[in-house]
Amino acid sequence: MFQKDTLVKIVGEKNVTDESSTLDTYSKDLSFVNTLRPDFVIKPKNANEIAQLVKLANETKTPLVPVSSGAQHFRGDTVPGSGGAVVLDLSGMKKIMRTDRYHRVAMCEPGVTFEELIPAVEKEGIRLNLPLLPRKSKSVVGSLLEREPVTMPTYQWDISDPLACLGLIVGTGEEFRTGQAAGPGTIEEQWEAGAVQKAPYGPGSTCWHRLFQGAQGTMGIATWASIRCEILPTLEEPFLVGSPYVERLFELSHWLIRLRLVNECFILNNTNLAAIMAKNWPCDYQAIKHALPPWILFYNLAGYEYYPEERVSYRKKNIQSLTQKIAVESTKALAGISAGELLQKVHRPSEEPYWKLRYKGASHDIFFLSIADKLPGLLDAMNIEANKASYPASDIGVYIQPGVQGSSYHCEFNIFYDPQSPSEINQVSQLSTAATLSLMDKGAFFSRPYGKSTDAIMNRDAATVTALTKVKNIFDPNNILNPGKLCF
Amino acid sequence: MFLSPEVYKKFEDIVGEENICGDLAIMPSYHSGQIGAVVLPKDTEQVQAIVKLCNRLNIQFTVMSTGFIRAAMPQGCIYLDMRRMNKIIEINEKDMYAVVEPYVTSAELQAELMKRGLNCSIKGSGAQCTAIIRGHGHMDLSTGGDDRNQLGMEWVTPAGDVLKLGALGSTHEWFCGDGPGPSLRGVISGRGSGDALAEGGVITKAAMKLYHWPGPAAFELEGQSPNYNLKEIPPNFMVRYYSFPSVPQMYEAELKIGESEIMFALMGFNVAMLSANISPNMEMELEVIEKLNKEVQGPGFYVIVAANSPEEFEYDQKVLDKIISDTGGKSLAMVEDPKVGALVLIHGVRISVSIRETFRLRPVGGKAYGFQIMGQRDVNIKWIDEAANRKKELIKKGLGADDGGVYFGWSVENSHLGKTEIFFDPSPHPESLDAIIDWQQTTARKALEDHLNPPTHLPLSVVGPEVSNYHIWSKKLDEAFNPNGTTVVLPSLMG
Repeated sequence: MFQKDTLVKIVGEKNVTDESSTLDTYSKDLSFVNTLRPDFVIKPKNANEIAQLVKLANETKTPLVPVSSGAQHFRGDTVPGSGGAVVLDLSGMKKIMRTDRYHRVAMCEPGVTFEELIPAVEKEGIRLNLPLLPRKSKSVVGSLLEREPVTMPTYQWDISDPLACLGLIVGTGEEFRTGQAAGPGTIEEQWEAGAVQKAPYGPGSTCWHRLFQGAQGTMGIATWASIRCEILPTLEEPFLVGSPYVERLFELSHWLIRLRLVNECFILNNTNLAAIMAKNWPCDYQAIKHALPPWILFYNLAGYEYYPEERVSYRKKNIQSLTQKIAVESTKALAGISAGELLQKVHRPSEEPYWKLRYKGASHDIFFLSIADKLPGLLDAMNIEANKASYPASDIGVYIQPGVQGSSYHCEFNIFYDPQSPSEINQVSQLSTAATLSLMDKGAFFSRPYGKSTDAIMNRDAATVTALTKVKNIFDPNNILNPGKLCF
Repeated sequence: MFLSPEVYKKFEDIVGEENICGDLAIMPSYHSGQIGAVVLPKDTEQVQAIVKLCNRLNIQFTVMSTGFIRAAMPQGCIYLDMRRMNKIIEINEKDMYAVVEPYVTSAELQAELMKRGLNCSIKGSGAQCTAIIRGHGHMDLSTGGDDRNQLGMEWVTPAGDVLKLGALGSTHEWFCGDGPGPSLRGVISGRGSGDALAEGGVITKAAMKLYHWPGPAAFELEGQSPNYNLKEIPPNFMVRYYSFPSVPQMYEAELKIGESEIMFALMGFNVAMLSANISPNMEMELEVIEKLNKEVQGPGFYVIVAANSPEEFEYDQKVLDKIISDTGGKSLAMVEDPKVGALVLIHGVRISVSIRETFRLRPVGGKAYGFQIMGQRDVNIKWIDEAANRKKELIKKGLGADDGGVYFGWSVENSHLGKTEIFFDPSPHPESLDAIIDWQQTTARKALEDHLNPPTHLPLSVVGPEVSNYHIWSKKLDEAFNPNGTTVVLPSLMG
């Protein structure tokens, strides 16, 4: 257990709190994990302070829970999983260390949000490969560590993209850097030599960053990340494709990505597109939802430095022959929804309130990876489970994001509920548990397990759990980093 | 026979008498060392049984699929020859991945893929090598490289456990090798630099990411080896070689080509390397080099445009012309000849342009001195350029083979990343070898001292402390997964 005066010596008095109301805010989130109040919330300012805190936690066997994003939290990974925990709130670590057009890379600390980094990189002529409308307070580093899907699958060569390198304090309190950033030399010495922490490989033959992504802070605490960026287009032309047949949109997205014709490319159902686009609630929401076809594919063409109009023009022509074959139609607007307006939203974090909270005040997300042939069956399985739980299936938002240049799909169900209603909370919680099991039975791969279903997911792959435990014992032998999460 | 009859029989019980050999007359065909026995497993279960038996008997093992060069091995070790595991298990066209066993070569896989309008990354080691090798190749600009094409994998750990990475572990699907939770993928799929867990175990199946192929279902050839060639360059394909007044101008062009996303392949070969691929024999190769040297203005690269439509082809050409013009590039007339361009195309896509240029000048199994560095291309060019200048000084003194002091490289993933390489072969001078080893050490130390990259050719105890102490973490991983130290050298499927 930590002593307050020891903590004050490390981070300063104003950065340590044990005030009840503050602790309460870190004790729960919108997931269904148990509420558990931490003993302290600490706001370290730099890697050195984090290293000292981790070493102290090892001496006192104190659980540490790293948090980078601001509220609201959704997945239970930042709620303490064991008693006597101390939250390390990194949201104050706000440095943007690099925005570099020539090397197409940015670098920032964990407290930097999408709202802050997007304009900073755009000023240099580059852009982030963004997740779909992240909340304004979402940490960029947090999103990368969580392997969140990104909206431009053509530029996602590897599932770890766009993460380049990581600066870490691992569970032993030692500093470790991944990829090109590992060394030789300090980061500043590397900059002086012209090196920019871009390559994710190594050091050595191990790709270390993979061990820290998806770990929910259980292996190490990131003190910065570098991010692969793409060039800001000089011309963009977005389109919507509506259809009652989601399989046709899978087919179209496959070819758009396979032929590398588009940048942003994803599929929403009418519920989610309405939730994103509605201005006046609730009347707009219902009107848009009912006017839209059940499924909508969004894609965006871009031109860059050389002959942008010609680039967009030939791509439009090539796409037209695809849509004709698949019997769908690309349009600039659908049921009053403009592709251009959606594009503007997709380039930014969500406006407040966060789009997933607009309908009922809360959303529980079930998400997994799968392949094209299995997705229709998985969509059906979710509808069956919703019906069993008496939750209106048409109220479930669906977001399908092709990933890794078309080799997989992220499928996400957004189940909206009233967080003030115990009966709705109970209903959605039970639906989530049942649906997760049913989806797993039908081949859904829950690559990023969170919350109450984590055990059920991890238990299906005992060999991986055994191997991960070996890795955990190396980087965090005393299990002080976010104990109770994943399989640790 | 280095194994006792009793021990030999235990391995024979796993694979059958037809699939094990301890004959001292046969062993040298596998390796010059004193191998205990060569065993040929047919599936994962047999691999696992062999590895478990090795652990139980405290016998070391090593693995080879399509390779032909192996570092030193301890006396009496078991050598797993993977040639019976040669099946293409699945080609998933919709999700663009293929699942293969370790003895499937890139050439075999690519032939099947092209029939389906798909392609895979072929490594510089050649299309005759296993399709699941980790490394870089000549289509990296559009297909990526290294471990970034690997998806689900099945791994028999050095202790004999079977680990199915990613989706495979719980869903029997191969499309993802990462999770649940942290990804173990990067830890196991090593390149064999002697420092990681990657040294351990056997990869028994792997899924590889695929890419669109806009060309024909098969290349139609004419002529007899070695004078064979494509009948014609397919529609919407173009091959060119451009030379530039300087390295910075060449790299500027390379970067712009990557950024504009117009190119299927770009390879920074010098004229000697180009000549190796367009000449059927050594005599002609030397003549061509002489001719090309008169025409080029400096460093250069070849490009392959492979467009999906006539409109795209027209656009790609127009952008390429603009970039070449802006950067002072000059097209090599010889490669504009469709017959010569076709040779570059077939070697660049189906074979690997490294094969002739490597083995014509260097004996098989001969040691290559030099560096192959992945990562940030501009910073590595700067470092290798300095090494090339030191190389030229030694060449002037007759202390190394005279290749003009060249180095080469190429961009990866639309020029986000890159690979840069330099080699230096000894001359007949009696002090040549010592001079080259000294050059190698100097170059490696410069990388460390100038904070450029973690170099090869220096001891891990020197490099590791400068690079986040990764050698210590690697050792811990190795101890955790390879507790009995049974795996020898590198895994499995290199080469």
